[in-house]
Amino acid sequence: MTHPWKEELNKLLLQGASYADVRYTPREDSAALVMRNGNLLAFSAGSERGFGVRVLYQGAWGFAASSDLGSITATFARALDNAKSTARRLSRPIRLADKQVHTGRFTSPCLVDPAQVPYDEQVAFLRRVDTALQQTGVEQRMIFLRTQSRLTEYYDTQGAQIVKEIREIFPYLGIQGRDGDGETQSRRYSPPRLGPTRGWEIMQADFFEEQAARMVRELNETLAAPKCPSDVRSVILMPDIMYLQVHETIGHPLELDRILGYELSYAGGSFVRLSDFGALRYGTDKLTVRADATMENSPGSFGYDDDGVEAQNNLLIKDGILVGAITSRQMVTEANDKMGREYFKGSGGTARASSFRRTPLERMTNISVDPGTDGTLEDIIAKTEKGIVLSGDKSWSIGSNREQFHFANHYGYLVEDGQKKGVVRSCAYSGETLPFYNSLAMVGDERTWQVEFVPNCGKGMPSQTMQLGHGVPVCRFDNVKVGE
Amino acid sequence: MLQQMKETLLALREYALERNLQAQLSLHREDSHLTRLANGSVSLNTMESVTSLSVTAYGDRRTATATLVCGLKDLDMMRQAVDRAAAMLPHASRLSFQPTLPSIPADSTCETGYDAALAQLGSAGILDYISDAAAGLEDEDLTLGGSFSVGGTAWCTLSTATPHSVSWRLSDAQITLVLASAKNKWEINAEQSAQSLDDLDPKAMRRHLAFLKEQYLTREAVRLPLGPVRVVFGAAATAEYLSYLSYLGLDGSAMKQGNSIHREEDIGQRTLSHKITVTEGPDCPGAFALPTDDFGRSRGTAAWYDKGVLRGFIWDQGAADEYAQTPTGHNLAHHSFALQPGDMAVNDLQALAAAPRDTDILYVPYLHYTGVVSPSEGLITGTSRFGALLLKKDGAIQVPYNVRFTEKLEDIFGGKLLWLSSESTVYNTSSTYGSRNPSALRVPRLMCCDQINVEISNKSY
Ligand SMILES: [Zn+2]
Repeated sequence: MTHPWKEELNKLLLQGASYADVRYTPREDSAALVMRNGNLLAFSAGSERGFGVRVLYQGAWGFAASSDLGSITATFARALDNAKSTARRLSRPIRLADKQVHTGRFTSPCLVDPAQVPYDEQVAFLRRVDTALQQTGVEQRMIFLRTQSRLTEYYDTQGAQIVKEIREIFPYLGIQGRDGDGETQSRRYSPPRLGPTRGWEIMQADFFEEQAARMVRELNETLAAPKCPSDVRSVILMPDIMYLQVHETIGHPLELDRILGYELSYAGGSFVRLSDFGALRYGTDKLTVRADATMENSPGSFGYDDDGVEAQNNLLIKDGILVGAITSRQMVTEANDKMGREYFKGSGGTARASSFRRTPLERMTNISVDPGTDGTLEDIIAKTEKGIVLSGDKSWSIGSNREQFHFANHYGYLVEDGQKKGVVRSCAYSGETLPFYNSLAMVGDERTWQVEFVPNCGKGMPSQTMQLGHGVPVCRFDNVKVGE
Repeated sequence: MLQQMKETLLALREYALERNLQAQLSLHREDSHLTRLANGSVSLNTMESVTSLSVTAYGDRRTATATLVCGLKDLDMMRQAVDRAAAMLPHASRLSFQPTLPSIPADSTCETGYDAALAQLGSAGILDYISDAAAGLEDEDLTLGGSFSVGGTAWCTLSTATPHSVSWRLSDAQITLVLASAKNKWEINAEQSAQSLDDLDPKAMRRHLAFLKEQYLTREAVRLPLGPVRVVFGAAATAEYLSYLSYLGLDGSAMKQGNSIHREEDIGQRTLSHKITVTEGPDCPGAFALPTDDFGRSRGTAAWYDKGVLRGFIWDQGAADEYAQTPTGHNLAHHSFALQPGDMAVNDLQALAAAPRDTDILYVPYLHYTGVVSPSEGLITGTSRFGALLLKKDGAIQVPYNVRFTEKLEDIFGGKLLWLSSESTVYNTSSTYGSRNPSALRVPRLMCCDQINVEISNKSY
């Protein structure tokens, strides 16, 4: 069925709008399977359709969305009305940075569409992994499998026409046990990027059984271990926690809308100021970070963002110096105006919306730390006097301007005089963002680098959950406070 | 609206019965309006109208669910969702227990919580409110941010077991206004929850913002030392802790899974301060309370912590089936918990600031981005935000930079608790993720705890 998107967009122009776009999702299919202690507690499949229209009228945004395709004209009218109302309280009319107008298509790399895999095969997979997790010491077992397939059509009044078809698959394993003090200890696993595609083909039972065996072993080591000491030492972060460190204390604080105060009433601000670009020493010269939406096979790669801007690979931090941000068409013009110069050359192509019901925001793409030259994990341990190797994202809490943080880990072991020592439990570390990155002492090479996927980054109001990636190596930071 | 939803579900029920399917069928409809503010301007003005259907098919020790977002009149698509749930059911693996299909004994409809005047307030009403609440407070440096989320939610559920349904309709508004200093990078806020138009009180928002603005403009900024301090929490911070307590303390499923501060044998034991009484139920004004759960059980208000004594765990039907327990009437879109007020006649920040004190008091209105460091220890970490004040022993007031602390729920609501305000207030806890679902907690206006350990102290705002 064809819908009158272009006609409706043209009508908005005739009514005085300076710009408008519509995102139409003819079909989004998702499925969720949850198995706890062998019981398939959730076995659900969902589908949805709808559209959202965004209008710029006299420099003010209006947006409306509906799941009812019988209300297209009314919904377009509502979006325009909303923009007109917004104009009543507007101190700075919005301008969008210029863009190249694209007609294009993006399809995420997927060999076997999870939606085409028979239910019996999916359930059997969960059973097999559950059996592997059912071992001594494990009191609770949890397996999630979430899949999603979304087709989105994008049209705007500048003539862009983009179709995106994105398939995601997010498996997750979790186990828990009780330590000698009766406290719960846990171990979790979500796979990083496993190859050039992500569809059902990544669900290799042998591989997941190996991971399950490792999790069980590490949980049992943790249950029997003494408590993590509370002191100051080097922390060696494995990719499965380094990604979250980067996410929370580099990714979020470098979202330009946060820096400009657009999230102050909810998610928070950023310690970064506009005057910091090109000048702030964010970390040691071992730290180079980029926002790379062109990376192969990651949820943070999407072809074109929801402003219709092509995906890019941009530096954020170069040799420790802050040079870039996560940007959209709207925010770069405001930032440049406030800086009094054209620091941002155009949109970085990071505006994404989580569904047809939501408006695009600056979202992380693949916020990645370049691999370094300090070798493997073993090389880093060998050069560490007093440290701890930390793995797993047990909990996270970050200051409202991302100036400080507290992370707890599932698994950790001490390092003394270049030697691995015993496992400890209830590991956590905390610190202040800039001193922390300025204590970055060692960065592992390509052999330690992997792309971790994030299925659930929350931001915005109305709130949006977004998928993205982080390519990260093993990193060592010195003089860090550890212990709960 | 509810009638139309019920008729749609009855038609789908007939369709399911013709196919010998046992199923629960639910419809959710929201009409949401959210106006967002940043840097003094409206940054987004958005409306959404969305209808969602959920069909859960029940079989011998198995269930399967199909959901659908579509138009309210898309009956053919809805029938396909019923077919889909039916087709999935045989592929679900067998459970170790039999899940219970709802069997609603009588119709229950509740629309008393719906005020069309609030649900359909519209852009003009929202902007008028904001103008009143911020009148005269903004200047070149101080600009307004925030969000005004308002709308209506309708819910109807029934099953193939009986033709009766449970339905309700609620209006709600959740308002946050923030004054932010671009120069000094601080933010102060005021919040309000509304269930009807009469609950909107922009002048109260203005009074609160004006008081904090005065403090933040005139008082000395200070970095707190690390170590123990006496803290008075505002309603938002108390609600955050109560929200964790309601799950980590009272949820039966969490207890069985080792994610609770309690074990079964704690029932009947004093586990928290005798000052702590936590109730849940329909007698909770302003908290969008529901009189009937989705199984058609009519609900009463009960104390789950009674003067610090744990009275039991909350079991929804699914958890009760799984762990062979008796369900407690909690198959609900949202709970309505209340922490009962105490005996301290200090009921707002101004009164707290004016009251004599024998030690420094850190006022923490709000906790930002909390995390559960250890669920079985009830260990929660978070950072102060939005208008903290340091009330000095000598009567002076200072403006502290934010601090982090990591504390156990059993200390906050136990040994470290000094007093609770004698009046309570409602704090809106609705999230805008997923479908609209208004929720709120009732909490004492202020809660005082001693020996809260400052472990990170920011060097600036
Ligand atoms: Zn995030």
